[in-house]
Amino acid sequence: MTELWVKNACVIDPIRGINGEIMDIAIRDGRIVESVSDRADVIDAHRCLTLPGGIDSHTHVSGTKVNFGRYMSPEDMRAGRTKRRGKMHVTSGYYVPTTFGNSYRYSAMGYTTLLEGAMAPLEARHTHEEFTATPHQDMLANTLFDGNWAVMDAVREHDVRKAAAVVAWTLNAARGYAIKLTNPGGTEAWGWGDDLTSIHEQVPHFAVTPAEIITTLIQANELLRLPHSVHLHCNNLGKPGNYQTTLDTFELVPDLNPARQSLYATHVQFHAYGGGTWRNICSKAEEITRSINSKPQIVMDMGQIMFCRTMTMTADGPMEFNLHCLHHNKWSNHDVELETGSGIIPVTYSKKSAVNCIMWAIGLELALLTKSPWQCLLETDNPNGAPFVKYPEIIGLLMSKRYRDEECATLHAETEKRTSLWALERELDWHEIAVMTRAGQAKALGIASQGKGHLGIGAEADIAIYPIRTDMVDPAREYRKVVEGFQKTRYTIKRGRVVSRDGEIIVDGANATFWVNAKVPEDIRMENDKEFIRRFEQFYTVRMSNYPVQDLYLPRGRCIETEAML
Amino acid sequence: MRVILESKVRKKPSLPIEAEAIIPRNFLKGTDLVVFEGNKERTLSELFWIFVEGTAVSPENIEVVLKGDTSRIKRVGEYMDTGTILIEGDIGMHCGNFMSGGTIEIRGSADAWLGREMRGGTIVCRGNAGHYCATGYRGEKKGMQGGTVEVFGNAGDFCAEYLAGGTVHIHGHTGDFPGVEMRGGELLIEGDATRPCGNMKNGSCVILGTVHDLLPTFEKSGTHLLPERNLEMDVYTGDVANRGKGTMMVASRALRR
Repeated sequence: MTELWVKNACVIDPIRGINGEIMDIAIRDGRIVESVSDRADVIDAHRCLTLPGGIDSHTHVSGTKVNFGRYMSPEDMRAGRTKRRGKMHVTSGYYVPTTFGNSYRYSAMGYTTLLEGAMAPLEARHTHEEFTATPHQDMLANTLFDGNWAVMDAVREHDVRKAAAVVAWTLNAARGYAIKLTNPGGTEAWGWGDDLTSIHEQVPHFAVTPAEIITTLIQANELLRLPHSVHLHCNNLGKPGNYQTTLDTFELVPDLNPARQSLYATHVQFHAYGGGTWRNICSKAEEITRSINSKPQIVMDMGQIMFCRTMTMTADGPMEFNLHCLHHNKWSNHDVELETGSGIIPVTYSKKSAVNCIMWAIGLELALLTKSPWQCLLETDNPNGAPFVKYPEIIGLLMSKRYRDEECATLHAETEKRTSLWALERELDWHEIAVMTRAGQAKALGIASQGKGHLGIGAEADIAIYPIRTDMVDPAREYRKVVEGFQKTRYTIKRGRVVSRDGEIIVDGANATFWVNAKVPEDIRMENDKEFIRRFEQFYTVRMSNYPVQDLYLPRGRCIETEAML
Repeated sequence: MRVILESKVRKKPSLPIEAEAIIPRNFLKGTDLVVFEGNKERTLSELFWIFVEGTAVSPENIEVVLKGDTSRIKRVGEYMDTGTILIEGDIGMHCGNFMSGGTIEIRGSADAWLGREMRGGTIVCRGNAGHYCATGYRGEKKGMQGGTVEVFGNAGDFCAEYLAGGTVHIHGHTGDFPGVEMRGGELLIEGDATRPCGNMKNGSCVILGTVHDLLPTFEKSGTHLLPERNLEMDVYTGDVANRGKGTMMVASRALRR
């Protein structure tokens, strides 16, 4: 029995409605309890800001495409090198670091749970292997269904039950957590060298449209009672004028679940462009946020970009090809049979580029114009917009108008004309930041019931104590202190153990991988469906019996079981 | 001030020495420097006989002389910004990495990655240079950005890859792919070259010898007379496969006698 007593903590816990109370937290065996014995270890937080452990609801840290990003950028491995020290493995890399590098840096920032943004089911083993080497964070995996042949067949037949059954089987086989749609239909079209430019355009050879895929899977998601909603990367990412596609997509979403959103739209910054070409691109953040503010059934995340060198990696193969045509730099393209694709290219976001400056401003506009912080979460689509180590700077920008003004003064002159960022006076407070970095994520991902993202009795003891005194720091003026404070926690506590102290990792991690097993009735299970098995054996290059991920790959798997309403 | 480092006989002479500490500025405070031999940390005096002549108040006046068997010493002159290094024999890999000023003279031959990602200063190599002379390291898109590299012998493959600025002058022949991915700077090859300047974006390359396997993605745009050599040159633009605007000049066969 291990016990820990955190005293004098200035707690902000939005899920339980606690905002800046000085209180003590008792921890026993990795859970928060009422009280502990006097033999417990004591941590004095000295009234510093104490939040539930950070949750990143969309990041790319594990899996085949992240690893291929590492292959492709030997030059990045020269950056961020740290030697082996105590419990810490060697690390290297800045925008695609080693798995341990990712884990340690997240831990130093107080993050304890990560959602891998895209895992192709066929390549799930690799993702899970890297999860075990990302030891300080609990992991969840979004599973890609955007070009899944069986799903598209079910969509064409208007058979929601069948689509749900396919999803349930695949999630179980891949040990996945939620449904991810990346440019739905577009990745399948890319298999034919094509892309879809509208959500009402038909996928070649399948006679379904992205709109049908999205709406069917939103219904299937609720039939399966999955903890998270459909996680959508909209069509037409990164094209000037794409905001209309985004708005059309939002119009499709019904409000089906009172407990959480029905659609999670990710990295919306990349989907909020007006204009028609790169020359006249402008911000449409106001239109997007007007739609979000009137639709509680949608939660989005920022997809903020920051000025630096980074790597873009996504399942959206055609988009990466377009980017490659712009940059003429190295490029990787990948097709996952019957499921999805992917592409990777390196980019540098520069203040000299008007387009990059406008993208930077749009991300901030989205966060500042969305009324409820629960509906716009903070992330950079790591590493697509910027490596996650930039989060503290984004927090600083959101909390301080002065910081924004100073940054704006250094941008390309066109930015002011084509965005409304200059006019936004809003400065977020500590509570809103806590929502945008952990509580909102826990609610959106549906893991608050697993004890994540809050500090109530029985919750997992994932706690981040930052060296910030909220009563003594004025974030609007002293934004540097805010940025520095969020870069390095005083203590990061993971399941009741102090894992990181002042940025130094002090124990070996033992994370868990959450996955969902949605139970469907015997009669529509895919392993009993002769047609599904026949097509599987006919088209896949692997046998159906070899396809599911064995439990060996998840040494600390945690299964969430749901009863489907089918 | 002159610092002479004469290498001692080593038990395992093939073990590489990582000597990024050997730059003139570091000798201002004495010769108490640390290098790695294999994975073992060594002081300079364990590996070299050290002779110091005269004194210096600023690093510009410091000359470091390397004598003896120096062919396995790597990273000499890394991040060097001023002063002089004279190497009497051969030198190992990565000599003059990221150098931004000063002079390195190599009397013998240099191993691979001579002057990689150099920003300024001068490197003169009297012998041959290995592969990847004056380039960027693996994956790096900006190679040498300034300064001068002059090689009196031959250079290996991928000479001046990703050259972005400065001048590279090879008196002898080069191997395969010189000037590939060039995006600036000047490359002059007096000898022969094979498949030069693939994917070149910008900059200029002059080849006075024979070009083997000229890539088909270069467009001939005219001729030009090099007055100082009285040579007629064919001028090519490319690499058109990469929308390149670089210039490659190759001596015209007809007038080369």
